[in-house]
Amino acid sequence: MSVTPLPPIHGYLVVSTLLFAIGLVGVFARRNAIAVLLGIELMLNAASLNFVAFWRYRGGGQMEGQVFVVAIITVAAAEAAIALAIILNVYRRFKTVNVDQINLLKG
Amino acid sequence: MIGAIWESLHSGSLWQPLAFVCFAAIVLASGLLVVLSRNLLHSALWLLSCLAGVAGLFFLLGAEMLAAIQILVYCGGIVVLILFAIMLTHGLGHTDVRVANQQLLWGSIGAAGLAGVVLHLLSQESWTMGVAAEPVDVTARLADALLNPYVLAFEVASVVLLVAMVGAIVMARAEPE
Repeated sequence: MSVTPLPPIHGYLVVSTLLFAIGLVGVFARRNAIAVLLGIELMLNAASLNFVAFWRYRGGGQMEGQVFVVAIITVAAAEAAIALAIILNVYRRFKTVNVDQINLLKG
Repeated sequence: MIGAIWESLHSGSLWQPLAFVCFAAIVLASGLLVVLSRNLLHSALWLLSCLAGVAGLFFLLGAEMLAAIQILVYCGGIVVLILFAIMLTHGLGHTDVRVANQQLLWGSIGAAGLAGVVLHLLSQESWTMGVAAEPVDVTARLADALLNPYVLAFEVASVVLLVAMVGAIVMARAEPE
C-alpha cells in the first residue's frame, strides 16, 4: 500500500480546540460536581489529542509527545480517584453534590 | 465520479480522511452531549463514546499503544469509577430541575471567545510540517523512551498513582460512629 496522505493537522487542532471549549463550558456551567469532573476529563483529552497530533506531524521521530500523553492519562486516573473520594465525603456531609450549594466558606 | 472514489478507496487515500471525519464527529457530538445531557448517568455514558472517539483519532495518527491505553484506562477504569460515584451519590435516573448554575451565560461566552481566538490564530498559521512516512516501531520506541530517558518520570508517575490510591481509600472510608 502506498503512503496515504494524512488529513492536514488543522483538522486535529480544530477538533481539539472545540473539545476544550466544550469541556470549559461544562466546568463553568454545570451544577453537579461530578459533571464538572467530566468537563475536566474532556479538556485533558483535548490536550492529549494536541500532543499526539504534533508528535505525528513532526515526523514521529522523538517520543516526547507520547510520553506526555501517558503522563496525562496517569494524572487523570489519580485525579479522578481523589476527586471522587472528596465528592463522596461532601455528599455524606451535605447530602448534595451541587457546587453552588456547598458554600460553607462563603462569608 | 464513483469510479474515482472507488479507485481512491482501493489505493487507500480516501479512507483516512473519511475515518478522521467520522471520529471527529463522534468526539464532538458526544462531547456536546456530555455537557448538555440533563441526566448525569447519560453524561457519563456519552463520555465513554467521546473517549473511544479520541482513541480512534490516536489510532489514526499512528499511536496504537496510546489508543489501547486510552481504551483500557479511560473507558475501562475512569468512566467506571465515575459511574460508581454517580450511583453512590446521585441515584439512578435522577434528573435535576436545574442542571446549570448562574454562570452558564458567561461561561459559554468565555469558552466561545477562547475557541474563536484559537481558531483565528490557527487559520493564520500555515503549518507546513513534513509528513514523513508512517513511523515504524512506535510501541517499541515508546517503551524505550519510557525506560531510558524518561525513567524518572515513569517512576514518579507510579508513586503518584500509589499515593492517590492510598489517599482515596483513606478519604472514602466511612467514619466510625
